[in-house]
Parts: sequence; C-alpha cells; structure tokens
Amino acid sequence: MTFARNARLIAAVAVAALLLAAPFGLKPYGIYLLSLWVVMTIAAIGLNLTLGYAGQISLAQASFVGIGAYTAALLTTQGWPLAAAFVLAAVLCFVIGWLLGYPALRVQHHYLAFVTLAFATLVFLILRNEEWLTRGVYGISGIPRPTVLGWSTQGPVDFYFFCLGMLALVSAATWWLIRSPWGRAFTALRENAMRASSLGVDTRRYTLMAFAIGSVLGGISGVLYAPLVQFIEPTAFALGLSLNLLLMVIVGGSGYFFGPFLGAAVSVLLPEWLRFSEGLYLILYAVFVMILMAFFPSGLLGLAERLHKRAGTPAPGPAVPTRDGEAS
Amino acid sequence: MPAVLEVRDLTKTFGGISAVSGVSFDVHDGEILGLIGPNGSGKSTLFNCILGQLTPSAGDVRLDGRAITGMRPCDLNLLGVGRTFQLLQVFPQLSVRENLILAGQEHLGSMWSRLAGQPDAGLSGAANQMIEFFRLAAVADERAGALSYGQQKLLDVAMAFMAGPRLVLLDEPAGGVNPTMLAGLRERLRAINETGKATFVVIEHNMEFVMSLCTRVLVLVEGRIIAEGAPEAIRDNRDVIEAYLGH
Repeated sequence: MTFARNARLIAAVAVAALLLAAPFGLKPYGIYLLSLWVVMTIAAIGLNLTLGYAGQISLAQASFVGIGAYTAALLTTQGWPLAAAFVLAAVLCFVIGWLLGYPALRVQHHYLAFVTLAFATLVFLILRNEEWLTRGVYGISGIPRPTVLGWSTQGPVDFYFFCLGMLALVSAATWWLIRSPWGRAFTALRENAMRASSLGVDTRRYTLMAFAIGSVLGGISGVLYAPLVQFIEPTAFALGLSLNLLLMVIVGGSGYFFGPFLGAAVSVLLPEWLRFSEGLYLILYAVFVMILMAFFPSGLLGLAERLHKRAGTPAPGPAVPTRDGEAS
Repeated sequence: MPAVLEVRDLTKTFGGISAVSGVSFDVHDGEILGLIGPNGSGKSTLFNCILGQLTPSAGDVRLDGRAITGMRPCDLNLLGVGRTFQLLQVFPQLSVRENLILAGQEHLGSMWSRLAGQPDAGLSGAANQMIEFFRLAAVADERAGALSYGQQKLLDVAMAFMAGPRLVLLDEPAGGVNPTMLAGLRERLRAINETGKATFVVIEHNMEFVMSLCTRVLVLVEGRIIAEGAPEAIRDNRDVIEAYLGH
C-alpha cells in the first residue's frame, strides 16, 4: 500500500511539474490549447459532480459556461474586475442551476436529458437574440485579461498560470466536497435514491445542490474562457459544447475524481496531437473515442482500474466509489 | 404499553384494485410485531404507506401520537423510523463502513455543518461497533457490492439501526439468508430489542423465524387483517391456516 501511495505521490508531483514547465516549451498556440484544457477541465469537473457523483444527467453544462463567459465579458468590458464576474457568475449559475434541478425531482435519465436540452436551447436563443444585452451574433470582443494584485495576466503564459491556479483551487474544493458527507450522499443519490431517502438523506435538497454546484463550476469555467479567447459569440456555447463536456466526463471516467482531467485532455489536446495525420486527424480521433466507448464504457480510469485488478497489484482506485460496477 | 405506531383505517388503492383496505393496528413500545400473509396480501404496500414511499388513499398513521401520514421517508427517518426493503438495498460502490456512516450521518447536525465537519461525520467509531456487532469486520473495507448475499443482508439490516432508531420496519430480513446466518441475525435483532433500543415490525415468510422472534403476529390477507395474537395462537388459528397455508 505504501508503494502504491508513493507511486501516486510521485505521479502527482511529476504531473504538477509538467504542467508548470509545459508553457515554457510551447508556442502561443500550444499555450492556448493548454489553457483551454484547464478551462474545459473545470467545466467537466462540474459536470462530473452532477452526473458522475450524483447521477443526474445534464446536457446544459455549456449554457453555464456561456452564462459565466457573458457575465465576464459584459462586466470586464465595462471596467469591472474579473473578480466581480466570478462572484456574479457563481451566484447566477447557482440559482439557475438550482432551478434547473427541479425537473430532476420528477424525471430521470433520458427524460431529464431532454429537459436540460430544452434549457440549453433556451439559453442559446437568449444569447443569440437578445442583442441589447449580448450583442447577438456579433458577439463581444476586446475582453481584457485581468491584473491580479499587480500581476498582469495579459501574456499567454501568465494567463495560463492564472487559469492553472484556478483549476488548483477548484480541484481542492471539489476533492474536499466529495470526501465530505455530501460526497457520500451524492453517491447514495446516484446508486439508490429510494434507499438513501429511507436513511434520512434529503434527496431533493442534494439533487438541487448537485445541479447548483456543478453549474457554478461551469460558470467559473466560462469566466475564464472569455478572457482566454477574448471574443465570444453564442455558437461557442451551443449543444456541441455540452456534448463535448459530456464526452470528457465519460471518456475520462464518470465518477472518478481525475476523470475530467483526462477526458478534457482527450477532447482538447488529442485532436491537436493527431494533426500529424493531416486530413485524417478527426477521423482518427472519432475512431479512438468509438473504440474506447464500445470496449471500455467506464472510461480511461475505469480501464486503468480494471488493468490494475487484473495484474493483481493494489489498484489506486477512484477517489470515491465509481458509478460503473463492471469496471470494478 | 404505549403505542409507538398507530395505524388507523389505512387504505391504498391502485386504480380499482384495493391493495390495503382499512387496516388498523398499534405497535407497542418494545415489542416485535410480525406481519405475515401470502404473496400479494399487501404487506409491503402497507409498509410503504406507513413509511412515506406511497401516499395512502385514506387513513391515518401516527408515531408517538404525532401524525406522520404522507411524510417524506427522509423526514420519517430523522424522526427515528428505520427500515429495510424486501430486495437488498445497499450501496454497492461504497464500502461496508461507508454504507454505515451514510446511514447515520444525516442525523448529525445540519447539512452545512456536515459539509464543514469531518469526512466521516465522526461516525467511524459507531460504524466499527456496528461492524463488530453484525460480524462484518472481515469485509469492513470491501465494497458492499462485492459481499455475499448473506453479508449484504446483514449490512442492510445494520444500516437500519445505525442511527439508533425508535422503530424499525424490516421487510423480509430472512429472505435468502442461510440458516447459520439467520440464527445470528435473529440473535442480534433480539439483543437490540432487549436493550430497549428499538421496536420492530417484521414482514417475513419464514414462519420459524417469525414464530421464534416475534412477540405478536398480525395476519394480512387480501389487504385486510384476518387475525392477530401471540405466535402460538396464530399458528393454530383455523382462518390463518386456511387463508395463509391454503389448507
């Protein structure tokens, strides 16, 4: 067990060192991709909380990224600090996410997916049509990057480190949450809501909280996304992004703490790494995802856990129990 | 003895079919009440109406004199009512210890204080005691889904007692459990009851288990109570033999 713990510690230090050193060896586009990975990882962590831990499917995570991004864009282009955008976006996303959770009290699975899909469509239509607020299809440009306690994040490397710091904060908060009694209650909600209720778990409140917190993380991701790309328009937050975020969660391993990190890497970085194949890169990417999902539906971390068990070595296991019984 | 649970004229209909028809009974403090009846007699429906999983069509349920009809299961549990289900209902991806901690954590503090508190909600010690009591120490850190059926059954029952409930409704606790483990389960249920910690209502098809455990037995047939009394009296009751055993 000590060996396994040491191995995990060494791996964590190595990954942290790699993330800290990576931008110095990359061109601006590479740094942009890394930053995008960080931002999408935060949104995927939020969806993993809602879907992976609490078992509530949502096709609306992109809408919260959009709400966060537009909040940041509208405020910072008017001279407000990005910190104000974080606060306002978090509050907005919490309230809207909480309200979006109400249908989950009545319907589940694909019915719930369609309810959240309808919400995503509504948000997209608002972003596109309410020009007085969002500038519609023209989008919002010139979104500034923040200066944090005198540190300008204008350059790509600086902004990458700013995003990485936010990811560290979000990861620490999420780790704490899922290891708390709330995390256990979320897992119980996912595995057997009726039994959980009979043990005093207020399934209604935890369901709403799972939606609300997951949505807040989507909003925080959006607040970082706007100054990263410095121009936003509605199509960036359409259904495609929600599906992509869902893919990140599932490919990485739904219900695994590190699943979103890996899933976002596959979704954001893998297509770029496959560009050596020129015109074939998207085909290769699609084939990889199809094979992975067909043979390893519990995702990359589910596969890793299965291989560990088959090898007879102590499996590192998920941070908290996983969703897929077959994978264990 | 005062009544812990009072059920009055409880009725549950599904469309035109009446699953439970005007059932009334009391459960007294400290007793182990058996509820028997053939398949489809309405026992589990009655449980689910009492425990808030189903809304009764008519009737009244009281716990210690307080109306609890239609109350949500989680609120009932917080009032001290535990239960098990007919089918196994453990959380397979949680360890045995975490299943037990979960079963007790919602009784401690508020939702917010639990978030800020210890990961185990301070329940590791209590969970370990329960693990020892139900002889699950060898599998305490195993995922519940990896346990044998009998061990899961024990865990299921142990979870119902984790929060120190006043009243526990057990739905077929002996179902699928081998005779050795069953004797152990009976011994533990008796021990909990004798320490005055809980009053039980037990639905069971295993007559030997019911007769050796319960202090009083109700017989439900086609949604109505047809007999009530001491186990020995029920065993010899002609109506029960005819209706329940089909003689």
